[in-house]
Amino acid sequence: MRDEVTLTFGVDTRNMGLARTVAATMAARAGLTVDRLEDVRLAVDEAVSQVISEAPRDGKVACRFEVTADSLLIDVTAPNASGRYPSTDTFGWTVLRALVDEVSPDIDDSTLTLRLRVHRATTVDV
Amino acid sequence: MTDHPGGWSTEQRARERELLARLTSLDPEHPERAGVRDELVVLHLPLVRYLAHRYRSQGEPLDDVTQVGTLGLLKAVDRFDPERGTAFSTFATPTIIGEIKRHYRDNTWALRLPRGLKERVLQVGRRTDELTVAAGRAPTVAELAEDLDLTDEEVIEAIEARHAYSAESFDPHPDAGHDERFGATEAGFESVEDLASLQPLLAALPERERAILALRFTEELSQAQIADRLGISQMHVSRLLARTLAQLRAGLADA
Repeated sequence: MRDEVTLTFGVDTRNMGLARTVAATMAARAGLTVDRLEDVRLAVDEAVSQVISEAPRDGKVACRFEVTADSLLIDVTAPNASGRYPSTDTFGWTVLRALVDEVSPDIDDSTLTLRLRVHRATTVDV
Repeated sequence: MTDHPGGWSTEQRARERELLARLTSLDPEHPERAGVRDELVVLHLPLVRYLAHRYRSQGEPLDDVTQVGTLGLLKAVDRFDPERGTAFSTFATPTIIGEIKRHYRDNTWALRLPRGLKERVLQVGRRTDELTVAAGRAPTVAELAEDLDLTDEEVIEAIEARHAYSAESFDPHPDAGHDERFGATEAGFESVEDLASLQPLLAALPERERAILALRFTEELSQAQIADRLGISQMHVSRLLARTLAQLRAGLADA
């Protein structure tokens, strides 16, 4: 059985708390330590904030979470009119890279997706 | 605004490389070392401020979180080894975040939460520390739940509550520029500058309005409790509060 949850919401920062809460729940389900769980919450917050910054206000943001055998995968998607890849030379990107094991942007049909991967076995120093 | 909000210019990167190389080449006792270290810290303060904004809880003064984050930055400067090939900012970010997290784990007294939840937040924080020491790694939610005889949801709720974010506190308006979104704009009266300009405005308020503000925000009473104490209806308290806050906001905007 696939363990998969998708949360969709309007481009509105009041919804970011929802994304963080689902992120925490899925991180717990993936058996991550509470430290990693907090990193995942912050990473999702950061990713949502990045895709929102380029999205039209009537757009929708989708956060898809999947727990696989070895990872927690998170795709954060929103419409993106510019069709440009986000700059990797920002604090936001530095934060994302520091918080998750892999992060990669993907542009497709004028939507931007940030794909995050967190290894389930990973533990970090407190 | 630049094309790379929060990013660095080529000159800054070159300066960073130069400083890091200098720092590692200097003997720990060398008199120039402190100056190099200071400049590295100053160069990376914007990163700390960014993280502080991201991580801070509702009502927490930004200065406090920035201070804690700067401590993390100092530790990162001292521990950095350029030979490992990682960029300094990538190396420093988890250290800064770690320091901020610890700050929140140790300082939950300021949280405005229902008593039961607040106790659970403290209990989960304390037990996390104990289990971390015992196991050499942080516990999972399932381990904490079993240990504390709580459900997974209750543990998650406690973790979430510790970071009782205010969605409005950094309001990333989709059309706003990056600097605007993560700069000094605050929805409430949370910044230190605001507090200073608030003093004369507060002094000018009628006594009852000032008392209601104090009861609500200093003593953290609910509107119903304030109503009870002043012998007026809760609706009345709610209206007075809304009006007073609107007045203060307008006053601040003019200040």
